[in-house]
Amino acid sequence: MRKNAGKKRVRLLGICCNWSPFACYNAAGMNRLAMPPDFRLMRVMCIGRINQALILRAFEYGADGVILLECLDDDCRYGPGPGVGHENVRRVRRLLHLLGIDQERLVECSFGAHEKEVLVETLWRFADEIRTLGPMTEGNVLGVKRPAL
Amino acid sequence: MNEIDRIIRAQALFQCLECGKCSAACPRRLTGKDYSPRLLAHKVIAEREDEAFIENAVWDCLSCGMCSERCPSGVKFSGFILEMRSLLAEKKGLKGYRAHDGAVHSWMRMMTAPELRQNRLDWVPKTLQVADSGEVAFFVGCAPYFDVFFSGIDVDTLSIAKDSIRLLNFMDIKPVLLRDERCCGHDLLWTGDRENFERLCRLNCETFRSAGVREIIVSCPECYHVLSEHMPRVVPGFDIKITLLLDLLQREMRKGGMTFRGLKRRVTYQDPCRLGRMAGRYAAPRELLGLIPEMRFEEMENSGPSALCCGNCGFINCDAHSKQIQVLRLQEARATGADLLVTACPKCLIHLTCAVRDPLRQGSVKMEIRDILSVLANQIAWYGG
Repeated sequence: MRKNAGKKRVRLLGICCNWSPFACYNAAGMNRLAMPPDFRLMRVMCIGRINQALILRAFEYGADGVILLECLDDDCRYGPGPGVGHENVRRVRRLLHLLGIDQERLVECSFGAHEKEVLVETLWRFADEIRTLGPMTEGNVLGVKRPAL
Repeated sequence: MNEIDRIIRAQALFQCLECGKCSAACPRRLTGKDYSPRLLAHKVIAEREDEAFIENAVWDCLSCGMCSERCPSGVKFSGFILEMRSLLAEKKGLKGYRAHDGAVHSWMRMMTAPELRQNRLDWVPKTLQVADSGEVAFFVGCAPYFDVFFSGIDVDTLSIAKDSIRLLNFMDIKPVLLRDERCCGHDLLWTGDRENFERLCRLNCETFRSAGVREIIVSCPECYHVLSEHMPRVVPGFDIKITLLLDLLQREMRKGGMTFRGLKRRVTYQDPCRLGRMAGRYAAPRELLGLIPEMRFEEMENSGPSALCCGNCGFINCDAHSKQIQVLRLQEARATGADLLVTACPKCLIHLTCAVRDPLRQGSVKMEIRDILSVLANQIAWYGG
């Protein structure tokens, strides 16, 4: 058992670029590396597709933590993807701070295509950190009724 | 009685003469969109089975109020749109294309959580005097949020809040800033999300009451529209006085003692719909701008009650036609020979700035745009001082 496994359950969302990070995620799955529980992955073609609204929406709909899994800055298949990700994370973190939500609940991380162990380790660390912060609150959170886990 | 029949009666739609003045004046129509308030009124009265048309048209309106302004028989078209949106949203879900993917509505809905403890006042500089408690509060609204969200197009909405407090300080008012105030909910109301709008109203009212506030000074016309008109309907017995900062300034200037320093600019003014057509404040901003010496004030071709919309309201349905309206408006402003466009609403500032920065226009509608409160705060001075 990993540490913190007994703590409260939290809702984790990973927004994952289809290229390097998803290759890592896929390889980790093929190698049967254990993933944190309550972690959901949303696969997108490029982190550059994700804007401030979509990250905010995840929190509005009840996520306790969101991690953006990006390619390395120079690896983007389309060009500006990771740069867009950095800028959006920077701004949404400021919005979360205004709303009184811990900025650490939004994380971004870049990976090369071969770094499956690093990705899994990052996800566990992310899950531990969010569990330490705890679920935002029970029941009616941020205006939306959350379904039971 | 059917709910739609009730709305038709309440908003006086039966008085429609089908003269078509509303459609002829509608900025949507003006830019070639296939949208007609007159036809919508006709359909909803006589051909209600055409649900697809009615639903589309209800969500297409910009709610700028030009149609009600032009209507010779007093149809309250904006009220009709407002009620229809709430009704349709309740029955069939929220519709209408949300600009910025609905981020603005997202944070407004997030603010409906009662346990939220915001950090919305980190920006207040030490040079501004604000009180911890007192009877007069200043409603900051969404300015800190817009400031972050729109930092990419260099719209500095926070400076409007800062300049408003500077003006209040100049008039010897130290306003209370409420850490737990929420968005006024204007955009949720006008996009049909009645439930969350009412939640925000109740939370705001609680915040005002628990802070012991008796009067709230508002700079944004949308906040003023909501707090003065809709708040008392949502919260019965809402007895807190809502004051528009421009009104307060106008009153204080008339008393004498304060004046403005000269500003050598040619200036024109954009009437925001919530301030002009909905609150009837055409004279106050013009009187205040008129007091600035050395400034030349030029009216645009369409001004006052005929002022053209800034292209969008409530952050829904921003499309090519919205952009066209903004470009038309900016061209009108430039045609006056003015080099500074003054507006009184942060949304006008955001939307018109967006059009100015449009790379496809190659700078052809470039113009400096500033909020009236920022202009006044920079020029205000003691008489003889």
